[in-house]
Amino acid sequence: MKNEIKKREPLSPAYILACAAFLILTLGPFIWAFIVSVTPEYEMFTNDSGMLPGEITWGNYAELLGMESQYSLRFTEGMVNSVKAVALTLLIGQPIAVITAYALSSLRFKGRTFFKYGLLITMVIPVFATIIPLFRIFSMNRLLDKTFWLSLVYVSSFLPMNTWLMSNYFASIPGELSEAARVDGCGYMSCFFRVILPVSYPIIAASSLIMFLSAWGQYQIPLILASSAATKPVSIVTSEFMTKDTIFYGVTAAGGLLAIVPPALMALIFRKYLINGMTQGSVKF
Amino acid sequence: MKKLYNRLLPYILLLPMIILMTALVYYPIAVTFSYSLKRMKLTRPNDIEFIGLQNYIEVLKSEDFIYSLQNTVFLLVLVVLLTTICGFCVALILNREHRLSGVFLAIAILPWAMPPIVNGIIWRFIFFPGYGFVNKLLLGLNIINEPVDWLSSRFLLLTVVAIVTAWRSAPFCAIVCLAGLKTIPKELYEAAAIDGSNSFSSFRYITLPLSLPFLGIGITSSSVTAVNIFDEIVALSGFSDTGKNLLIQNYLTTFSFLDFGKGSALTYIIMLLTSAIGVFYLRSLNKEVSY
Repeated sequence: MKNEIKKREPLSPAYILACAAFLILTLGPFIWAFIVSVTPEYEMFTNDSGMLPGEITWGNYAELLGMESQYSLRFTEGMVNSVKAVALTLLIGQPIAVITAYALSSLRFKGRTFFKYGLLITMVIPVFATIIPLFRIFSMNRLLDKTFWLSLVYVSSFLPMNTWLMSNYFASIPGELSEAARVDGCGYMSCFFRVILPVSYPIIAASSLIMFLSAWGQYQIPLILASSAATKPVSIVTSEFMTKDTIFYGVTAAGGLLAIVPPALMALIFRKYLINGMTQGSVKF
Repeated sequence: MKKLYNRLLPYILLLPMIILMTALVYYPIAVTFSYSLKRMKLTRPNDIEFIGLQNYIEVLKSEDFIYSLQNTVFLLVLVVLLTTICGFCVALILNREHRLSGVFLAIAILPWAMPPIVNGIIWRFIFFPGYGFVNKLLLGLNIINEPVDWLSSRFLLLTVVAIVTAWRSAPFCAIVCLAGLKTIPKELYEAAAIDGSNSFSSFRYITLPLSLPFLGIGITSSSVTAVNIFDEIVALSGFSDTGKNLLIQNYLTTFSFLDFGKGSALTYIIMLLTSAIGVFYLRSLNKEVSY
């Protein structure tokens, strides 16, 4: 292994330049948001071309995480709401995605293609096609502002993607594995639990991550279906710090950065499964 | 008994999916269609009447529709171009193994973890009309003499929206491309090198053609993203008229003016426009590649 590293040709200047551009463009926005979040409000509008604030304040973070201010109550409630909705979405969505993907990828039955395309095509249907009547149905049945029903709507919109990723992965598992198990007398279901599931953890991790990120990032759906203080996610709360007339820059930037901590952490922790899962999942060879 | 069970098993497994999708997707879509044929304003709940294609005709004739359609098409082209090119370049950067490649991958997926609305908010500080980052930078370099108002004029705003959206969607494209690049056998490059191929022609004749299938996935998924841009526009310019695309127009019609009939008709028009992308999407998802 070590020898291999030594043998590699040195990195060319063009490559290093490309890396630098990549790093600046990717990390720049985060860094700038951080600078804004620690800049005192009075310094924000001064006309000097200096990039860094003359003075650093942690007041905005204290404002959001402290216990007394009006911001912190709204912000922490938003965080809790987001966590609840995401957890419910994963708990409901992943089991359904797993069994659907198994049926569509590994079992032969009448109407398989019909069900498969019927599910996949919904990926390109705009949210409004379903949300307009859902809003009306929900409001008539008093289901608006309920985290459970919000999560169900999330599941219905992320299910096609996750099912597709998983079923491609299941299909790539060599057939001999499950055939051997079947010869030994395993039924389809025990074969699934004993043979397929144990080797599928990379794609389950990858698709859970994708579901987590999609659910955490939702804005449009909760804006319409769950906009009360008790249910609205942190994304809406943060955007409300930026109203039409007044923008609380520092607080908004700090809130935005804090709101991406959970998804960023998840993405960093599970990133290795992403490539593994994708290699077998999204591109079939 | 066992045989019957095995025959029914697939349908039993699909049942939760079918119930969920029927209740929350297929049925609502049908209801939306029925709304679109009615005069239906929530402000006048007693005045609901079947009016045929009237809503569609009115929507298609309205200036707001033409304006927001132009914006959507502009965003579509720019976002797809930026996402695919940047995503592919990032994948090429990540495909080289070196001491920092693990860290690079971690950094590359960060934008993808961003909630779109937060993405818009964070970029708003960069393109802020007063002394945002870009203006400070350009002023400092003496390229401009006074701050540029990035978010007020139509195409400047749309360009910013496209950049911001591409920044968020490029990582997914990069990961798909990277996963694809990793499946290209190393032997191909070695054989080409023995035959005297330089790195440019290896790229031109091996990497690029073998990348087309997953570039297809990148292009189609970014076009779905581009048509569905909503949060970034809201964060950058609110629900103002300047930068509105079809989705914002749809939201305004339905939930601000509470005209469910017209809103539903507009939704169906959008769906027809995107179904072309949908067909392409399904095809690229199912593409098989052989060497």
